[in-house]
This record gives sequence, C-alpha cells and structure tokens, in this order.
Amino acid sequence: MTDASLPANPAAPETRKSVSLVAPDARTQKRKAAEARFRMYGIAGIATGIFFLVVLLSTIVASGTGAFQQTFINVSVYLDPAKLDKKGNRDPEDIKKVSTFGYTPLIQQALFDVVETNNLETPLAKRGDMKALISASAAAQLRDVVLENPGLIGETVDFRILASSRVDGYLKDRVKREDVVRDKNIDAEHLDLIDLLVPLGIVEKTFNMDFVTGADASESRPEAAGIGVAMAGSFFMMLVVLVLSLPIGVAASIYLEEFAPKNRWTDLIEVNIANLAAVPSIVFGILGLAVFIQFMHLPQSAPLVGGLVLTLMTLPTIIISTRASLKAVPPSIRDAALGVGASKMQAVFHHVLPLAAPGILTGTIIGLAQALGETAPLLLIGMVGFIASNAPDGIASGLLDPNSAMPAQIYEWAKRADPAFYERAWGGIIILLVFLITMNTIAVILRRRFERRW
Amino acid sequence: MNDMRILERTVDTNEVKIVAKGVQVFYGDNHAIKDVDVDIQDRTVTAFIGPSGCGKSTFLRCLNRMNDTIDVARVEGDIRIDGEDIYDKRVDPVQLRAKVGMVFQKPNPFPKSIYDNVAYGPRIHGLARSKADLDNIVEEALRRAAIWDEVKDRLSAPGTGLSGGQQQRLCIARAVATEPEVLLMDEPCSALDPIATAQVEELIDELRQNYSVVIVTHSMQQAARVSQRTAFFHLGNLVEYGETSQIFTNPQDTRTESYITGRIG
Repeated sequence: MTDASLPANPAAPETRKSVSLVAPDARTQKRKAAEARFRMYGIAGIATGIFFLVVLLSTIVASGTGAFQQTFINVSVYLDPAKLDKKGNRDPEDIKKVSTFGYTPLIQQALFDVVETNNLETPLAKRGDMKALISASAAAQLRDVVLENPGLIGETVDFRILASSRVDGYLKDRVKREDVVRDKNIDAEHLDLIDLLVPLGIVEKTFNMDFVTGADASESRPEAAGIGVAMAGSFFMMLVVLVLSLPIGVAASIYLEEFAPKNRWTDLIEVNIANLAAVPSIVFGILGLAVFIQFMHLPQSAPLVGGLVLTLMTLPTIIISTRASLKAVPPSIRDAALGVGASKMQAVFHHVLPLAAPGILTGTIIGLAQALGETAPLLLIGMVGFIASNAPDGIASGLLDPNSAMPAQIYEWAKRADPAFYERAWGGIIILLVFLITMNTIAVILRRRFERRW
Repeated sequence: MNDMRILERTVDTNEVKIVAKGVQVFYGDNHAIKDVDVDIQDRTVTAFIGPSGCGKSTFLRCLNRMNDTIDVARVEGDIRIDGEDIYDKRVDPVQLRAKVGMVFQKPNPFPKSIYDNVAYGPRIHGLARSKADLDNIVEEALRRAAIWDEVKDRLSAPGTGLSGGQQQRLCIARAVATEPEVLLMDEPCSALDPIATAQVEELIDELRQNYSVVIVTHSMQQAARVSQRTAFFHLGNLVEYGETSQIFTNPQDTRTESYITGRIG
C-alpha cells in the first residue's frame, strides 16, 4: 500500500456494509432464483416424460386388452352321419374326404335350432342366416375333433366354437350399430339376435388363451389369430442369439481389452465396432440375406437365420458393454494377481471377469431385449408377412421351419385392413412389452445380486 | 514344515541375490532408467529412495518383470537372480513372479474372503496337496504378516472389509504365501497411518530373516529405520548405493547429501 493509493479510496472501510445473514442480498436471491428455475425445468421435463409414458401405457392397455378376450358360442352340434360318413363304415380315410364345407351346415343348423327351441324373435328365418355369427374357422375346429374321434359321428356333442369377428367386435364395442349399415358381413338383425343369445349364455366372452398360444390366421378370420407360434419363433431366435453372441462377444472383448496390443489395427477395430453399433438394423438384414440365404443357402424365414442376423446386430452392443465393464475393473486387481504369479489368463478369468460379470450380463440382456424387439432385419430374410400356422415340434423344426417373430407378427397385424387385427396388434405389443420388462428386471436383479457380494 | 525348508536353505547372509548390470528402461521415447548397476543381497532390506519420477519404482518393477504388462516399456541390460538372467527368452515371467513377490503401493486385496486372498497364490502354483495343507500355509502366511490374531476368527469375511493397514498386511501375507525368495515392496506404507506404518515396518524387519526385501519409499526416515542398504536414484540414474548408515551420515555424492538434507526432491 503506497501513500498515493490512499486518497484514491479513502472511504473504503466505510463502504463495506455489514451483510445480514437473515436477509439475503440481491445477488444471492438472483442465484437462488436461477437454481429454482433450473430445478423447475428438470421437473417439467420429467413430468412431460411421465405424462407421455402414462398415455402410451394406458393406450396400449386400453386397446390391447381386447385381444385377450374372445367371444365363443356354446352349442350342441348333431354330427349327422348322413353328411360326414356317407358310406357308414367309419373309415378314417372316408371321413377325411369330407371337407369343412360338410361341417359348416351342421354348425349353422345347431345354432338355428337353439334360436327355434328358445322361441327367439328374429327375422332371420333360414339356417344360412346364422353364417354371419360363426367364425369361418369353426368348421375346421369341428372337423379336427371328428377326425380324432370318429366314434362321435351320429351323436350330439357340446362345442365351444369361435364367434365371427363382427360378433366379437360387437361385444367389445368395436362394431357399432351405425357401422353395420355399410357392412356386408353382418346386419342389424344379427346384432339383435346376439343381444338375445348373450343372456342365455349361448354367446359369451371369455379369456382367450388361444391368443397367447395359437398361430396366426388368414386375413379373413382375425378371431382365430394368435401370437403363440411367433413367440416360439422369437424364442428360438433368442436362443441362437444368446448361444452365439455371448461367448463370441465376451471372448472378443476380453481379447481386445486384455490381450491385444494397442496399435493402429486395434484402434481401427475399436472404432469400427462402435460404428457397427450405430449401423441401421436393416443393413444387417440385407447382409443376412446376402450371406446366409443367397450365399450359404440356409432356409428362408427360418429362426436360425433370423438369430444369426440378430447376433450380428447384437454383438457390437455386447462387446461395447463388456469392454466397458472390463475397463471398470481397477488395474490394481490385475497387478495383484500378476504379482503373486498368476498368468495373464488366470488374472483375467479368476479376478477380472467375475468382477465384470454383472456388467457383462446386463449388457447381454439389454442386447437380447433389443434384438427381441427388432423387426427391420426380419423383413429382408422373409420372417415378416409369413403366416406361421404350425407350432414347431422340437428344436430342429423350431430353428429351421419357416416362422415369424413377435414384432414381425405385430407389424403384420397392424397393416391388415380389418380393425379386429388392430386390436390384436396392441395385444401383441402388450405381450412383447411384458417380455422386455421381464428381461430388464432380470438384468437389474442380476446386477444387484452380484454387486452386493462385497 | 516351512521352518524345515528355511533350515535347508544354506544361503550365506552376505550372498548376493540379485545382480543388475547396465539396466536401461524406456517408456516409448522416454529414457526412464539410465544404466543402473545394483547388487542386492540376500536376507537384507534394501531401500530405494529418491524424488518422485526418479525411476525407483520402475526399476523395482524390472526385478519381477511387471513392466512386461506395459506395452510401451522396453528393458535393456542384464538382471540376474541367483545367476539366472530373468530376461532370458526361456524364463516364464509367471514363474519369476512366484519367486519374486510384490506388494503394491495401494493395498489391493482381491474382493474375496481373507482366506481366499492368501490361498490364491498357493492354489495356482499347486503348493498345497490337501485342504489341511492349504490351511497351514494360509495360517503360516498370516502369522508371518502379523495379522493372524486379528483375522483368525473371520477368515471367510471379505478382505476388502479390513482397515487400510490390515489390508496391506493381508497383501504381504498373500505375497509370502507363495514362498518367494525376494519380496518387492512399492511404497507399502504410503497409504497407511503412522500406527499401521509402524506395524508394517516391524514386519519388514522380521521378513528379513527369510527374504531379500527391496522397498521403495518416499520417507527417508523409513529407509533409515528399516533398511540395511540404501540406493539413491535421481533422474533415472543410480547416484549412490551403499550401507544405509553410510548414505545417511556420510554421503559421497553432493546430490545425495542435498536430497537427504531436504534441499532437492
């Protein structure tokens, strides 16, 4: 402090005000306001996110729960020997010759009998008028039962047959009376009759296990469509993905992270693995088409091929997450193991890998969940648009027979014209989401359990 | 059983255990160790002192080839343990590290039980023929590391749950469990409080009965307390090497004198 500076600031000690701690000054208030504002932005952002999530989930549940219920008609059908076994010798070969066309009139007659015996008032006076109420797949359902037990012919048997999708829609409020005017499949009179049949218990809406276990059906009979076979397709694909991508991905990561020399080549590989994770999945689809189907001549639409394609797609995810969790293991652990004379491989497998396991498992499950929901690559290898009609029997058929996958099935339903399929698409999404949430929960539980050990 | 083996060893106290001649270490382009010659005696505590970055830890890591794990590190020169060149192509670093144990700066027990920490080395080297054998080795190692009484009732508890000083003694137990002949210690007390340091130092003095101990330290008092011979490193050079008493009381080199009196470092 020189003398010259003194007059320049003579009142310096006086201008310094004593600040009260109870009454914050303007600057502090401004800072506090900024902090409060920032907190508000955060809360607003999260609230928006939660709002959309709630809307999404409630829409899915509202639109999709219908798929888990289905309308059935309980009816006693007289299996007329004159129609089903004209020769009368109960020869299975002869019975097989009668197509579903032979069974349709029997069902219609049975339902018509119900209407007549209950004296229901309806302008529908012909047997054939019942057609609109009954699913087109009901006859096949009957025929299958008869072929299995030819002895039933000549008897009256109680059946629970599928109602047509319009009837089903009417009971689920999907088909409205005002829409029926323009509908050539069903008339208002039919709906009146349904209103009379429901109290009798002839027509009833129950839980639809066939949706969860059954196969897809043709475009004209949404009431018979199920996601079960596509689920099996997804299951076999995930099996292939898990069996291939986990060992390959983990082995590749261990090599790259622990053993490979750090040079330009490994840098290049590292960058390209990161790039592969960002490649659009449809590119993997076309790669699979070129390599697995056109070059290696593996069967089209097979879950094996789908699994191979999804393996390619999942590998980068698994490698990146595995390398990250290997990197997260402190180097002192490696030093400790090497210091007591463990080989590099022993250090990695005895100490580093167990510590990285929760991260590896989490990455793998997240990768699998991603693969489970993938549709685009399946387009190119023929797993979309295919009507999977038969459930696979055994592992070989599950891997090699043409099949679809859950997301592909949902996509297929969503693009069909009949709104009844729309409901099933939402139902399929519910099932898919249940799977994904289950897998993610398992990932979280595994991580918690393994990390809690020490 | 272990005592028997020690009795069988007919090593003269003054016999030279490690001979290093013309050792050069490069980290990429960085010349970290310049032409170092050191003879390390058996059953002696040898201290490496010097300012940070002078190369003492690097040189220590040459003695059990831990520098092999660093890609850019390159070691030249001749290091012999009991007359055998450890950088010979036929030498397996894994076997070398079983013979030359190491304790690190930061206590780094495995996230396993105390028992498994100590038993790991004997297990991978096949030193135990039975479970009882292994139990004996573990107990003996923990006793030698002066931690047995503190942990004998909780051998199955995680090693990471011990205090810092206990963890470091556990690491020493882990290192001695493999029956090494040389024990390298890289600033073993830098993460410990004075009480734990005193315990570890006492332990080092006991270990001298059986091993050749090489210790890197930042604390000159520690070097003076525990070592019989001291090497002073500066900027990658070995400046002076001799009896600890001589280095601390009558240093020959002015740099050593400056460091010891606190003028550089």
